[in-house]
Amino acid sequence: MIARVAGAAAGLALLLAPVVASPYQVTLLLPAFAYAIALLGLNLLFGTTGLLSLGHALFVALGAYTAAWLTTRAGVLSLEAIVLAAAALAAVIAVPVGLLCVRYVKISFGMLTLAFGMLFYSFLYKFYLVTGGDEGIRVLRPVLLGQPFAGLDKVGFLTGPFYYYALALLVLAAAVMRRIVRSPFGLSLRAIRENPDKAAFVGVSVRRYRFYAFAIAAVFGAVGGTLLAVPTGLADPQLAYWTHSGNLVFMLLLGGFHHFLGPVVGAVVFIFLQDAVMSLTAYWRFVFGALLAVVVIFFPGGLLGLLARERPA
Amino acid sequence: MTLLEAVDVRMFYGSFCALDGVTLQIGRGEFVSIIGPNGAGKTTLVNVLTGLLAPTSGTVRFKGENVGGVGPVRLARLGMARAFQLVNVFPGLTVGETIAVAVLARLGRGARLFAALAGERRVWDEVRSVADLFGLGGALDRPARTLPQGDKKLLDVASAFALNPEVILLDEPTSGVSTADKHTIMEVLVHAAARLGIHSIIQVEHDMDIVFGYSDRIVALHQGRVLADGPPAALQANETVMATVVGRAHA
Amino acid sequence: MLFLVAAGLQLVFGVQKILNLACGSFYALGAYAGVSAVTWALGHGLPAPLFVVALLAGGLALAVIGPPLERLLRTIDGRDESFQLLLTFALVLMLEDVIRFVWGPAPVQLRGAYLVYGQVSVAGSTVPVYNLFVIAAGGVIALGMGLLLTRTRFGRIVRATAENREVAAALGVDMHRVYRRVFTLGVALGTVGGALVIPATAAVNEMAIDVIVDAFAVVVIGGLGSMRGAFAGALIVGVLKAGAIATWPEVEMLAIYVVVIGVLVLRPAGLFAGATP
Repeated sequence: MIARVAGAAAGLALLLAPVVASPYQVTLLLPAFAYAIALLGLNLLFGTTGLLSLGHALFVALGAYTAAWLTTRAGVLSLEAIVLAAAALAAVIAVPVGLLCVRYVKISFGMLTLAFGMLFYSFLYKFYLVTGGDEGIRVLRPVLLGQPFAGLDKVGFLTGPFYYYALALLVLAAAVMRRIVRSPFGLSLRAIRENPDKAAFVGVSVRRYRFYAFAIAAVFGAVGGTLLAVPTGLADPQLAYWTHSGNLVFMLLLGGFHHFLGPVVGAVVFIFLQDAVMSLTAYWRFVFGALLAVVVIFFPGGLLGLLARERPA
Repeated sequence: MTLLEAVDVRMFYGSFCALDGVTLQIGRGEFVSIIGPNGAGKTTLVNVLTGLLAPTSGTVRFKGENVGGVGPVRLARLGMARAFQLVNVFPGLTVGETIAVAVLARLGRGARLFAALAGERRVWDEVRSVADLFGLGGALDRPARTLPQGDKKLLDVASAFALNPEVILLDEPTSGVSTADKHTIMEVLVHAAARLGIHSIIQVEHDMDIVFGYSDRIVALHQGRVLADGPPAALQANETVMATVVGRAHA
Repeated sequence: MLFLVAAGLQLVFGVQKILNLACGSFYALGAYAGVSAVTWALGHGLPAPLFVVALLAGGLALAVIGPPLERLLRTIDGRDESFQLLLTFALVLMLEDVIRFVWGPAPVQLRGAYLVYGQVSVAGSTVPVYNLFVIAAGGVIALGMGLLLTRTRFGRIVRATAENREVAAALGVDMHRVYRRVFTLGVALGTVGGALVIPATAAVNEMAIDVIVDAFAVVVIGGLGSMRGAFAGALIVGVLKAGAIATWPEVEMLAIYVVVIGVLVLRPAGLFAGATP
């Protein structure tokens, strides 16, 4: 009951943010939304299927670079086209990567994903002809649903139409994820998480389902990546570095990976917290490291785990 | 009609010979017990029969198809299920969910992404009826890890039964259970099998009362070879078997 | 010097089954501490050629952070490995800022001190003698580790625990002490490694996270749980890097990861597999 009310209140707050909050705070919410979408995917892998990917940033970067490439090099400005292209590209890349990685479990899976993430990073870094090297590629302002909103300046665009676009995309992504988690597929994934051997004995194609989860996570990651690139206007290799993957997992843990909405909470809290701490001290990394340690040791269920009785979704 | 057969199966672990030319057939409608002292190769044989291990030589055929080493998933699809000696559950899933996973897999609906699980009428009806057969109908919403040991065992077996297999392999179904409960469990198993249309049951079992009380046929293994293969009466008459495998006390 | 960091990673993983992302941080700490130590020592009249001693001392001194950190990591022993990994990640973050706090954000280095040993011509290129010294030191430490693990009682206990925790505990081995020592040893390997490297390069804030990836590559290629593997892995990675830089620079980083992935796929246990270090 309380959860419902809190959720509704939060939803309302998000809806009204551009009107009641400062432009700065609103622009802060944008990467939070982007990360939330990417994390919804990651949580399907981790929270539901039990696979910890240390290379999820690969797909986020992929999405960002797709946006950059399409807007600056190919002249495609339609955000819908960009998002779809990113999703498709992610699915394609997820096939070889995913098929390979899901053959392994736990630490090996983590290591392989990390290796792939770093492989992509080095690719982005070195092949500057295609990727702009360590400077990255710029991302131009996209056209939303056919409207260029030329009359608005950058801040106006970001805190207005783009904000609602991103929010809508997040709601859509969350709805889709909710459906998936509560589907027979979701149950099969949870069975795989709980006991992969038994799942196999009960007839669940463990490897194949893990791959599906991986591919879905990849798509969500890339979509998040495209949204991430628009406010910053830049796609750069750091997006694929392993510490970025680490941050993604951090956010997930913070929000709580048991419930499928955990990622959203985690992303928002992380971004705002990061902003607040950064303005207080130059040593924000220390604070965050300590925070992560505290969460891992004392509150592994994350914020949502604290608030709700632990019931795996 | 032979459902499952092993033909001259040999299994070597390096230079150690676990199975030395085992040949046996399981037919429709049979309840077969595999017995033997520890180290006789029972577990290896079971692993080979259930497709977990590919035999070093020899063939294993299920319904005529060669199934050496195909793996559990494929075998479940073909119609063979297995329950384990050490309790094997999904700790975080409820009783209902556990059985549902099996039913969904069987119906081929395990990968449906966009259907609502709660709305799968047919699945839940089946889950309920399977659970009732095993006396777990009242615990559908309880997480598996909160069940008492005996119920966990039943759940493990129930989820295997939910696959509606033609052959089911039970790995020491009554181990770890008090003597009083053993017969109850066996009765439940046999009854459920009949209700669900499971044709054949193979069990690995140490408790000789259970073995002699329920089996149509007994296969005695010793040091990787089949020592005897026949109905209980025949084995009881076989002195060698009684001595090596069973122990005098049960004559 | 990748070997030392990798060796540290190796050891801790082999025994405690923790993949310690913070190993790179220890490396960095050692590097910075080494610089401070040497600068201080030279400022107090230590004859230049002996700067190595100060270096080593600085590195070793820092190993004292081993026991408390190990205690911290142990609080979540028994939980999913993912959590332990994340905890070490937390450490990486924290230590990075500790370094920033103590030594500042600008790169720090020892200017020219190492050239005191002069240079030498090897295979057509001039190589500072110090570098050879470092390589030799690496070899010595490798040998030392090998001997430690095979010949001493401590070494045997370590290997036994790596093979089978429960049995070792049942035999009366004090797990906590073993863990503490192993961890500290791992830390020391890292810090000393960092210290030794420092004369040839600069200490930068990002060292920790950069090096961990290389170390991880070394460990994967060489095989988790094998000292010899760590050594071989370090050699392979080093050669790969040098070769790549010489022939096709773009591929330098790529090549390493491709090899890592290749190894993980083809020989998941690494080239020198084995549960014993």
